[in-house]
Amino acid sequence: MSEGSPTKKAEGPEYIRIEFDLPRRYNWSTGRYLGKVYAEAKENKKMVAPRCPKCKQLWARPPSPVCPKCKVDMGWDWVELPLTGTIFQYTYQVYPLWDPHEGERWSNPHPPAIILLDNGIYFRHLLEETDTKKLKEGMRVQAVWEEDYEKRGQGFQDILYFRTIEE
Amino acid sequence: MAGRVAIVGVGQTHHTSRRDDVNLPEMVGEAVRAALADAQLSIKDIEAFIFSNMEAFEGIILPDHGMIAEVGAIGKPGLKVTGGGTTGSEAVGEACHLVSAGLYDITMVVGWQKHDCGDATAGISAAAVPTAAKGMVVGAVSEFAKQALSYIRQSGAREEHAAMVRLKADRCACRNPYAHLKLGLKGLEDYLKSPYLVWPIRLLDFCPQSCGACVVVLASEERAKKIHKKPVWVVDFEVAHQEPFSAGSFGDPTGTETYSQDVAAERLYKRNGITDVRKQVDLAEIYEPSTWEEMSLYEHFHFCEKNEGWKLIEKGVTEIEGEFPVNPSGGVIASNPIGATPVIRIAEAALQIRGDAGEHQVTRDVKTAIATALGGPNWTAMFLLKRSL
Amino acid sequence: MAKVTEKLEGMDVWVYHGQIYIPNTYSAGAVGSRFLIELRDNKKIMGTRCPTCNRVYVPARSVCKDCFGELSEWVEVSQKGTLLTYTVAYQSNPIQPVSTPIVYGIVQLDGADTGLVHMLGEVDPAQLKVGMKVRAVFKAKKERVASVLDIKYFKPLDQNNPR
Repeated sequence: MSEGSPTKKAEGPEYIRIEFDLPRRYNWSTGRYLGKVYAEAKENKKMVAPRCPKCKQLWARPPSPVCPKCKVDMGWDWVELPLTGTIFQYTYQVYPLWDPHEGERWSNPHPPAIILLDNGIYFRHLLEETDTKKLKEGMRVQAVWEEDYEKRGQGFQDILYFRTIEE
Repeated sequence: MAGRVAIVGVGQTHHTSRRDDVNLPEMVGEAVRAALADAQLSIKDIEAFIFSNMEAFEGIILPDHGMIAEVGAIGKPGLKVTGGGTTGSEAVGEACHLVSAGLYDITMVVGWQKHDCGDATAGISAAAVPTAAKGMVVGAVSEFAKQALSYIRQSGAREEHAAMVRLKADRCACRNPYAHLKLGLKGLEDYLKSPYLVWPIRLLDFCPQSCGACVVVLASEERAKKIHKKPVWVVDFEVAHQEPFSAGSFGDPTGTETYSQDVAAERLYKRNGITDVRKQVDLAEIYEPSTWEEMSLYEHFHFCEKNEGWKLIEKGVTEIEGEFPVNPSGGVIASNPIGATPVIRIAEAALQIRGDAGEHQVTRDVKTAIATALGGPNWTAMFLLKRSL
Repeated sequence: MAKVTEKLEGMDVWVYHGQIYIPNTYSAGAVGSRFLIELRDNKKIMGTRCPTCNRVYVPARSVCKDCFGELSEWVEVSQKGTLLTYTVAYQSNPIQPVSTPIVYGIVQLDGADTGLVHMLGEVDPAQLKVGMKVRAVFKAKKERVASVLDIKYFKPLDQNNPR
């Protein structure tokens, strides 16, 4: 609960600041389309994406009930994504910043990246390699799944990260 | 627009990182009083209020409800706009609609953000849909890191160019009494000492979180001419929204996506017969969250050819004394109270048109100006302002 | 906090239980700070007065609601006042300052033109009456931290011993 916490400066008037911490909890439903992705990941360790009936493009992350390009109903044509590809682009966090999902300041050691999957789809995910000096655009990577069935059911996060593979 | 609308008053607070000496409503009240003084109006003359703020970034709910007395809005009609980075410009757009439609003669747009209350990066990270993007998005910083990488790859720009953008912004900010960050940077060495936040974005590459408010007063044509000697006409504005792309809202890796900046610029320029921006427009106050994005925006808004944005900065074209000044106020990189920032772009462009910008008044005579706004996931708002119709 | 995704019965739909945790700090500002510091240091309840409208605002504020004037005249108001209205909250909520049941009241202190929201104590809610006289009870000095809760509660003035 809030408390008066005066900030006394060396000189000058005293100003009162009051800190208030109340995490706002919420429930967020995946809906049918994202739910299908969750189901396939949990049950079958597969990553799927819907294909637009008009433009035939795959909309992986997140799947949309309406095609963002054509504005038609997406339908229910699901395609399995290959989970190998190359690193198209990556970045890495240096400075710890506040994460509202966790309620603390931290710096994720796993670099977020855009991976060009072998079927031409761009997929955003984390990389396993935390030593950024070892990373280079173009390296081949492969998804690493959470093997424990009980722990899966987190959707895209059922893939822990993408691991560099030698080829 | 049907009826014509002009800006007849602007007011800002001195943007800074922390304001302990005032509570939030009082800070906003300062800008309201400054705008009323500039317009030489009394609070009684204001007929409707449009509030512009991103409350999540302050970590509270409905701060506007608690400031009605301080803003002078008791009993008056109004509405609030919350639209990400473009909030302020959409609010000004709304106010223009109300005046242009003949519903009110004089409206006031009140934009503010008191970032010392909360954390904008946290707010933006919370905007990422948790089931699809959690853990991928670190505020706006990670998104602009991706943009920077894409821009470097496509255009060949280098860190020296990002440094030049920051140095220009700082030189301008040091001449603007209202700007937040006046760092007195000397050169590339200062830039290179700056730590990385999310590579390749350095602390100096990115906009701050400022406490500040900015207010503009808008009036119908009939009233505007009686209120202010130098009304600034809002000739046109355009807003374009954009869906997040498959892999990057600000830097598309496929190079095939359409950006909202291109759509908005094309529509606005076509409607107003602008075919050569650098000749027909005298100044631009653009919304650049990062140094790299500023170079990219030069291209999107047709200030130069594609992939040549970094050349403009290299040649000094966009300096205060330059041939086509951009962001003489210091831009978003120097001051960023998010809810107020787009309002500041419009207010600063108006001051330049009036010739009232003081030390940061540009050399070129400003008869026509553009003010833009940018918000996640890459929405664009563009305003066209003129000295005379 | 445990991030839980929960599958709904009978369909491929999950619910994610999340949180938005953004810390918030409220600045009282110069005027608000003085009001709170007077409570902490001097056990005084202060208001600001609008000379145009002749209104005294408690808690002290910097703007007059009616004339938009900026207020700078400070006035001390009485520790005693009139109970304008009250209610009792039975349902618990993490925001509450003390545990339920809580008796909330709006008190117009003598000398003020506004009501002050606070709590009532040392009283059986059944005995409360709109219009009764109440007085502020402060916490001990070492417990006062420049908060409106430096006033512990308001209690009814004893008719026989009105101190």
